[in-house]
Amino acid sequence: MNKIIQAKDITQIYRKNGAVTVKALQDVSVDIEKGEFAAIMGASGSGKSTLMNILGCLARPTGGEYFLDGENVNQLSDDDLAKIRNRKIGFVFQLFHLLPRTDSLENVELPLLYSDRSDITKLAQKALEVVGLADRIHHYPAELSGGQQQRVAIARALVNNPEIILADEPTGNLDSRAGLEVISVFQQLHAEGKTVILVTHSREIAEHANRIILIKDGRITGDERAQNPLNARDELESLPEETEVAQ
Amino acid sequence: MKILRLTTNVFKGLGKNKMRSFLMMVGVIIGIATLIVILSITQGANKKIMARINNFGPNAIMVHSGGGKMRGQIRGPSTVSMANLARKDLQNISSIEGVKIVSPFQLKMDMPIKYQSQFTTTTVMGVMPNWADAWKRGASKGDFIQTEDVELLKKVCVIGQTVKKELFPDSNPIGAELLIGKVKFRVQGILQKRGASPAGTDFDNLVIIPFSTASRRLMNQPKYIAMIRVIVDDPSHLKIISQQISQILRRNHHLASQEEDDFKLTSSTQIVKMIKSVSGTLHIFLLLIAGLSLLVGGIVIMNIMLISVSERKHEIGLRKAVGARSKDILLQFILESLVITLTGGILGFIVGILGVKIMEWVTNMPAVVSWEALALAFGFSFIVGIIFGVQPARKASRLDPVEALR
Ligand SMILES: Nc1ncnc2c1ncn2[C@@H]1O[C@H](COP(=O)(O)OP(=O)(O)O)[C@@H](O)[C@H]1O
Ligand SMILES: [Mg+2]
Repeated sequence: MNKIIQAKDITQIYRKNGAVTVKALQDVSVDIEKGEFAAIMGASGSGKSTLMNILGCLARPTGGEYFLDGENVNQLSDDDLAKIRNRKIGFVFQLFHLLPRTDSLENVELPLLYSDRSDITKLAQKALEVVGLADRIHHYPAELSGGQQQRVAIARALVNNPEIILADEPTGNLDSRAGLEVISVFQQLHAEGKTVILVTHSREIAEHANRIILIKDGRITGDERAQNPLNARDELESLPEETEVAQ
Repeated sequence: MKILRLTTNVFKGLGKNKMRSFLMMVGVIIGIATLIVILSITQGANKKIMARINNFGPNAIMVHSGGGKMRGQIRGPSTVSMANLARKDLQNISSIEGVKIVSPFQLKMDMPIKYQSQFTTTTVMGVMPNWADAWKRGASKGDFIQTEDVELLKKVCVIGQTVKKELFPDSNPIGAELLIGKVKFRVQGILQKRGASPAGTDFDNLVIIPFSTASRRLMNQPKYIAMIRVIVDDPSHLKIISQQISQILRRNHHLASQEEDDFKLTSSTQIVKMIKSVSGTLHIFLLLIAGLSLLVGGIVIMNIMLISVSERKHEIGLRKAVGARSKDILLQFILESLVITLTGGILGFIVGILGVKIMEWVTNMPAVVSWEALALAFGFSFIVGIIFGVQPARKASRLDPVEALR
């Protein structure tokens, strides 16, 4: 067993104006194997994003220990964390966060700007091919549909060939067809061996993962293994044609 | 490699927002342009001052007949009509320690001269042979005034280049006889070219004749001397020797202590002082404008960048999420500010040079555009970019990525 993520008793406490404190996470322990496709599911405000930011080394927990790929992250400097984010982690956000007035290719190149790679353009083109946007490399975000924009964002998350893809509500701003397209990209990446962690409030979306971790009020309340996860590609094929036109 | 990539990225980013980038540059452009204009004018003026001092002679003292005040401009020459310097003055000045050459001369301006059908007017000087050493200026062709010419009151002359051009446009003047007033003089030499006289007039519009001939035959001033040029051994002795000359002349002229001088001394140090006092205030004013524009330009840049840090929160958060360290963000924003100010500096330099050229063309003022000016433009732009770029850059680099992405 190769545990790429080992979080032990993670606690995150926010202090608002010193007085009131919010316990966003309480003693959360999760292990995730290399190559797993796991969904973290819970209602709004349950602490999903907080957990994802910690797992992605974007934030430090107030308590607990976190091992990423066997390395204790707590002891690393901010610069080391940036390096880890650059090499081992690819983020996908609900709001895409593409740079405006910047074409797909340049958006995807962004993480490489902070790496030592030299074949920037080639890698970015490849990543765009993986998400099926080889013909959109010089389009600006404003010229792309929501689903396409999110796929550009996925290409950006992939471009550095990270171990883990972390996606926070990636379908939250998409209609169901575009959402399924995005999910199918994640399923494809999982099939190719990537570790994918998908944060969502929707059970429908979560059921595409092989494992569903339930979170409520900052605590893990369940951990289900799915024998037969939904297949987004199949669902897309069974969708009526008109949806595509509407998009 | 990485910094190069980041720099290209910064350039692209600024190019995507041309209007904002340009507005950020305006202050720097104005500031640097003004700076260039000032510098060019100052250097042009300095060149002019240096040329004048050189023409005047850095170790010369001119003794003028006649007193009176002179302010703000260089004293023109004293003419024979006001001559009041005596032979004794001359002898006493010669015996001052440190005085190397004492060269008396008579002078009359606007004298009519004529050769065949050509007329002109010119300044006529009656000089001793040591005039050539005193002015470091002899005959470029033919002979200068010789001792013998002075002793025998010869009616010979040496003419300046302007006079040659006026009277002998295409013939050889040497040996020709011309009329100064009503007296005939034989041309025996042509003076070396000099350009501007100490007073700024054409120093080539000049005819030189023997001192004695001028005093007795042409200007009717056998007793007194109009002017004396004194050359000292070292410019640092100018002040002391000037004081000594002053004492000698006051004593010889029997001036009571409350009486004003009936002579005037000028030297290169005074010329520098006069020219500087005139141009100084203008330069300070212009420098103030340049400084203010750069300051305002810098503050504008800082404010726009601070606003843009808030506007670009998502971008900053995203860059951090994909692996940018705080120092990468810091560097990016400082580079942005530097690219803005340096581009503004270059544009300002170009605008400044255009301004200088136009001014030169309109006012006829000489200006010098130098490498120092370019270096200064770059230096100031760089400093403004750093000073006013650091604050926004630090703000950007310190953003918490989770907060920024929210
Ligand atoms: N920076 C913060 N300061 C204070 N409270 C916060 C902050 N971030 C999140 N919270 C609180 O922590 C809880 C969990 O938030 P979050 O992880 O964003 O939930 P989810 O992503 O599941 O909707 C919420 O109650 C939220 O209000
Ligand atoms: Mg959330």
